[in-house]
This record gives sequence, structure tokens and C-alpha cells, in this order.
Amino acid sequence: MSEKKYDAIIIGGGHNGLVCANIIAKKNKKVLICEARETCGGLANHEIINYIPSIPNSVTQSIGGLNLQYNPKGSIALSESGRHIRLIGNQHIDHATISNFSTQDADRYLEFDNKMTQFSKTLGGFMMDSPPRVMNNSFSDYLKLFKLGFNVRMMGKKRFNEFARMIGLNIADELEDNFESALLQGLIAHDAVLGSNLGPRSPGSLINLLYRMAIHGNSLFGGIYEIEGGSNKFISVLLDKCSKNNVEIKTSASVKNCLIENDRAIGVELHNGEKVFGKTIISNADPRSTYSSLLGSQNLDTDVKRRIKHHRSKGRVAKLSLKLNKIPEFNECNNDDLNSRMVISPSIDYIEENFNPSKFDKLSSEPVLEICLKNNNENPSLDIQVQYAPYKAHGGWENIKDDYVNSIIKIISKYANNIENCIDSKILITPDDIEKNYHVSGGHWHHGEIQIDQLFMLRPIPGAAQYKTHLDGLYMCGAGTHPGGGMHGISGKNAAKVVLGDL
Amino acid sequence: MAIDLRYSALKKTPFHSRTSLASRTNHWYTWNGFTVPTEYSTVELEYTAARNGTSVMDLTPMGKYEITGEEAHAFSDYLVTRDLSEMKDNTVAYIIWCNEDGKVIDDGTIFKYSSNKFMLCCAVKIYNWLNDSAEGFNVKIEDVTDTIAALSLQGPTSCSTLKNYGAIGLESLAPFEMKEFNIDGNNVLISRTGFTGDLGYELWIDPKNAEATWDAIFDAGKHLKIRPFGMNALEMTRIEAGFIQTNTDFMAAEDALRPVRMRSPYEIGMGWLVHFKKKNYFIGKKALKKEKEMGSTERCLVGLDIDGDKPAHGSVIYNSKKEDIGIVTAAMWSPTMKRNVALASLRRPYGIKIKDNIFAEIYHPEEIEYRKIWAKCKVVKRQFYSPERRNKVPADLYE
Repeated sequence: MSEKKYDAIIIGGGHNGLVCANIIAKKNKKVLICEARETCGGLANHEIINYIPSIPNSVTQSIGGLNLQYNPKGSIALSESGRHIRLIGNQHIDHATISNFSTQDADRYLEFDNKMTQFSKTLGGFMMDSPPRVMNNSFSDYLKLFKLGFNVRMMGKKRFNEFARMIGLNIADELEDNFESALLQGLIAHDAVLGSNLGPRSPGSLINLLYRMAIHGNSLFGGIYEIEGGSNKFISVLLDKCSKNNVEIKTSASVKNCLIENDRAIGVELHNGEKVFGKTIISNADPRSTYSSLLGSQNLDTDVKRRIKHHRSKGRVAKLSLKLNKIPEFNECNNDDLNSRMVISPSIDYIEENFNPSKFDKLSSEPVLEICLKNNNENPSLDIQVQYAPYKAHGGWENIKDDYVNSIIKIISKYANNIENCIDSKILITPDDIEKNYHVSGGHWHHGEIQIDQLFMLRPIPGAAQYKTHLDGLYMCGAGTHPGGGMHGISGKNAAKVVLGDL
Repeated sequence: MAIDLRYSALKKTPFHSRTSLASRTNHWYTWNGFTVPTEYSTVELEYTAARNGTSVMDLTPMGKYEITGEEAHAFSDYLVTRDLSEMKDNTVAYIIWCNEDGKVIDDGTIFKYSSNKFMLCCAVKIYNWLNDSAEGFNVKIEDVTDTIAALSLQGPTSCSTLKNYGAIGLESLAPFEMKEFNIDGNNVLISRTGFTGDLGYELWIDPKNAEATWDAIFDAGKHLKIRPFGMNALEMTRIEAGFIQTNTDFMAAEDALRPVRMRSPYEIGMGWLVHFKKKNYFIGKKALKKEKEMGSTERCLVGLDIDGDKPAHGSVIYNSKKEDIGIVTAAMWSPTMKRNVALASLRRPYGIKIKDNIFAEIYHPEEIEYRKIWAKCKVVKRQFYSPERRNKVPADLYE
């Protein structure tokens, strides 16, 4: 029998891995992180993500406090005409803003916002905890389900009926029922489909919005709080904690597979041949990599292989980073507007037409954009999230990347005439690149679609919920587990609790 | 060869011209999309041939899958619960395979040609299961059901018949061994396997030689009580031998609608085929290990020796307090042993710890009326019939 060196070996130093490592190490356990890349952080990187939303209290408390400041961030839906809609999350001001476009929309907006916030809170409470396991016959699992049912019922009969009506609905129907402003519809629909494989008219796009609201402090299209300093700050704070908690970190240490003895994970083997042993192994990798590579198909039951094969994890978001020599002039935008989340998504149909070609792995000439101006240093940049960029593009990404970048810039130039003169350099990171460079199969932000069949106790796959895999001693703590991705660290926190319970 | 579905939705086996000529009853049975005789003349005559002469059965509809490639051996070992790591070339093994819950999907036989080539035979189609299971293994799965014709020759004179036919030295073939013979210029693979619990062989041949082979074999065995043999007679011989039949004695895990109907190997008397000592993982291991450790096995499949001579078809089994403890899955009056036997699925501890005071409620049909019989049962070894000649090497020969 091998000597047990570590209490926990964490594969992958993404933010969930770091959160998980800190919580376990705080209990005087020896923790090692093996990160394949040269630096930790994974997708919590400004190359991929525009904003890091506020971290839930339950996560910061478990780590013992995180020294982070938050800034409010409003949303601005850009209009070619210059009549932009600005939302900041204050209902009085937002009401007045929307009144300029439509009195009816303004009143309806308050109702819609209140309703969605309440639903997101109801779901959110359920999301913070580890999900119940079905068919486990455990009392606490039934209690959790009961609590969700109870909370949903306590919303009152009217709201309950509304919740039941909306849970499988598409966002387009709901928005068209409420609002007449196409621009307002476009903004909210954009937030509902971002990061998913859905168009605004796809069933289930509403639950994606609720999920995203829940991880953004129950508000999203109105306004959010983002971490000051962004992903760099977030990760460096977590890394500081790691060194305080004596977490060992190996970078450029790509794990080949799990070492298995007597049907239990006992360690990992790195690609350089090194073997490390630990009592528990925790994978921050996506479910497909965890099962196919780490655990190995030869150690899986056929039914599990089938479920992993059906796991939906194709990314649809690309990231374009433009390094600027000067700040472009956006039509009718002041400095506050430039600091907001600028969204180019003029209508629901605009998004849907954009979504259509992506179903066939083709590109749209008019993509949906979320633009973030970084202007706090000498080298300003525009970080642009581009939806829908297929995972594997028809004709190969390498052949069409340049055309795609040009079409994105052309769109922006409709709102900022001088954009082309401001650009020093441009880099496009496609879902395919995310897969290769960040080791996420499918290049999906959330390591798997946020949809009813892949949520709660079904996330990532039935039988693997509650952060355990089908192999004893191997756990998962990444975005592929409940509740999902979005830079909140809940998966990492919940996984740590489960592992500590077993250690 | 493409089959013209305008005339028949059912496929004909390469022996069809011969089996249809031999059929006196025109009773046919659908098996894996093929049509094969249920009985040729009378079930008693066919059964008697299997026990006293040579019975010949068309086995072609049997699902046959070729597993080839570098990891064929490792994959076969992973697929089934039995330890195949020591399996030798040119041998055959009886196997079962399970799903992730450790519930049995089917049983069958696996033939090892070499470590790169195996053939799996079973009663139903399982291509998708094999293909999905093969992910992560460097193997190729091919359905060869239509490209291999198969005949089963069973009974005390089967070795002599095949020897007359041209299988020189066949008598030295041990049970579960196979050997390729060259007969009349054609390759014939013969394995000493069968489903009757007696001396017997199975022939695996090229379909284009099927008719000639059938004719030559009947010629070779005409003085050795040779007779074609249908599905009904097979059912009798397999019960006597104590062999289980999927979807008769237990529901295949993939077919069962009710999860409670699925059975683990321990529940159908196949625990001896589960080898946890195997070096590598096998499908269902996790669940089976848990079942073994927790002792959560609920049922058992046992042999019953029942008083009287009326077969207990579908009978409910009771304890002395008249509580329902199980059901008969297959029953018959055994003409060879003159015993009333049955296979029964019982709720543990009945059949394992409690073997006495068990009763069967038999409804015996007597011209539209039923006679109800309350018969005492004895739990016995499931293998009711196993003559010495079954495993004898060299096999018995007759002039």
C-alpha cells in the first residue's frame, strides 16, 4: 500500500479549486493543487470573462473572509439611433428611464423585475447548498426537496402558478407579453441566453436567466456588482489565502490519470510520469475530462459512459480582446456609460437570427456583443463577449477567424465610428481555443449547459451528484457540478464540505 | 445477400430449405428476426433424440458478435462478471453480463480464438450494448449473426455422428474447447458446447455450405437415431439441465419495465460467475460488491422436486403458513428421470436457509376445467440431470 502524503489533491487551480483547497486546508489538512497551465485561475481570466460578480457570503465566510471591493455596474443597451436604454438597478431611476420610451413598459418593468427577483431568490436558496440525491432515501435529502417545494409554495398561489408557468418557458414569449420596446427586450433576452446553447425562442431560456440572476445577487439586466480589479484581483486574493493556509501548488503539472487501487482513487499520475498520492482526489476539471481521462472509460459502467457522452457541453461564447491606443467615441455615450456593461443586442429577432446559423456551426455576420471597456491603466482595452460562436466552426476556425473579427468590428463601428483607428491589436478566443488552452472539453463557460436535465441533482449526470464521482475517493468541485459556473465558488465550497465529511 | 422484405418480414436461415422440409407440423417460432421450427414432429420424439441419439437444431438466429482488435481480451474481461484473464485460445466460457446496478442483462457464451479475436453468442441482440461499452477500448464490434450459420448436435451419439461426418479425432475435444476441422474441403468450427446438459457439439460454418452440411450430417447419423430438434424440446432439455433462460426465469435488466423485476447474479444462481478478484474493473462491479457486502440479495433461483406427476407451470410457491414466497419460472415432468421438477424464484431466506415445508399450488388443466393440487416441494440442486458422459474425455463413441 502506498504512503498517503496529502489529504486532498485538487486537479485544476480554477477559482473553484482554489476555494475548495482553502476550505479544506483551513482544517489543518495537507492540500496539493495540480494546475496544468502556468498560472492558476482557469476561466476566471479577463481573456475569457468580462466581469466577476460578487462572491456569495457563504463562500467568503467558509474561506474566512476575502479582501474584495465591489463596484456597481449598470447596463446600457446600445441603439444605432443613439437612444440607448440605461439601467442601473435602482427601480425609481430605471422606471423613469424606461418611461422615456414607453410608460407601459416602465410599469411592467417593475412588475417583471420584482417577479424575477423573487423567483431567483427562491431558486437561489436551493442552489447554495449541495443538491439532494434522489433515490437515496435519506431524510435530509427529502427535507431539502421539501424546503424548495415549501419556499415555492410560500410565494402565494398566484406567484406559484406563475412560477410553474414560467419554468419551462422561453424568454422571448415572456418579454413580448410584457414590453413593447424592442431594445429593452433585446437587452433582457441577451442576458437570458448568454453562455448557453439557446436562442431567445428556445424553451428553457428563462431558467438560464433565473440562474444567472441568482449568481449575480438576484439582479442582472438592471445592474450588477463586480469585483474591483476583476479576475486578476479575485485569483490573487485566493492565492494569497492558499499560501496562508499552506496549500501546495504545482503549476505546469498536467494530470494524466487517476491512480486506482482496490476500486478507490489513491493518487494521480502527471504527464511527466510523477506520481502523487492522497486520501482524496478532487477534480476541478469538467465532467467529461474527469470521467473520460482521469477516471478512464475502462473503469466506467456502460450506462455511465452513455450519460457522459450525452452530457451537453459545447460552448457558444467567444471573446475578442482589442488593445486600444485611444478610447473610441461611442455615439451619445458619456463616461458613466462607457463604464457600464455595453450590450449590442437591438432586439429578440436580432439574437434569434444570430442563433440560427450557429446551430449549423456557421457564423453570423452580425453577432450579439457584450462590451466592457477597461480604462484603468495606460493600455486601455475593449473586452467583447461574442455570442454565438460555434464550438467547431464550419470550415475550421483558423480559416474564418479573421473575417469574423472584422465583422465584429464592423458592428461596433455602427455605434463607435472611429473604432478602427483605435485598435492596436486584436485576439479572438473561440470555444475551441478555450478547450485547447484551458482544458475545458467543449469550451463551455459552465462546463455544461445550465438546463433542467443538467441541474440540481442531475448535474453533471445522474448518479454523480453531490460532488462524488462513480469512483470512491474521487470528487468533483468544478462548474460542471451543482449549481454551475459563473465565478461564485459555490461548487468549490460545497465540494469541500463533502470531502471534509469523508476525510 | 439482401433479403427481399416484400415476401417475408422474417429472415430465413441458411438451413431453411431443409428445416421446412423436415417440419411435419408447420409450427414456427420467431427468434431475432428469423423463423425457426417450434417443433418438427412431436416434442416427445425430439426430446428422446436428444437424450438417446443425436438431435440437430438450427442455431443460426443466435446473436453472434465478433470482437476484434488489440484490446479484445481486455474488453471481453471488462464486459462480463467472470474472470476471463486466464482464458486460453480455442476455448469457450459461459458468461453473464450486468448493467451498472449489477442486474443481469443476459447470459451467453464467449469463444476465444486468440487474444485479438473473440466471438460472443447470446439469445438476443446486444450490438448497441457492446458498442457503447467498447468506448475507451481499442476494439471493433461486428454483428456476424447473418454471416455464420450454426447447428447444434446434442445427445449420446452426437460425437459418433460428427465423426462419421468427417470430424476426425473429435472425441478428444474436452468440454468448452473448440477446434477447426476441414471436412469435404470446407472449414468447420466445432465447439463442445450446448444447452441440453448432455454430450453435445455446436458447429459454426459458412452459410453457403449450410445445406450440404445438413445433408451430410443426417446421412452420417442415419443409423444413430438422428432427428431435427425444435424450440419446445430444447425447453425440456434445458430445464432438466438446470440452465436459465433470459426473460423466462428472470427479466433481462434492459427489458424489465419494473426495476424490482431486475435480478442480480446472486438472485438467479449465477453468483459463481462473479469474480471480484479480477485485476481490472468490470461492468456492474461497484453495485455487485455493495450487494455482496450488505448482504442485500433478496431472492434466489432454486430447483424444486415436486410431489406427484403434474407439472407446476406458473405455480405460486407458499410456506407452511400459506404465505406467498415465490413463483415457478419453468416446470416439467422429466421423462428421463421420472421426476416432477421446476425452477422457482423464491424470496430469501426461503430456498437458502429454509428448504422444508414449501408447497406449490398447481392448477392442472383437465379439459377446460382445472384441478387444484397442493403439492409438497423439496429444494434441490438446480442441475437435475447431468450424465457422466457429458464431461467424459474421450467422448463415448457408438458404431
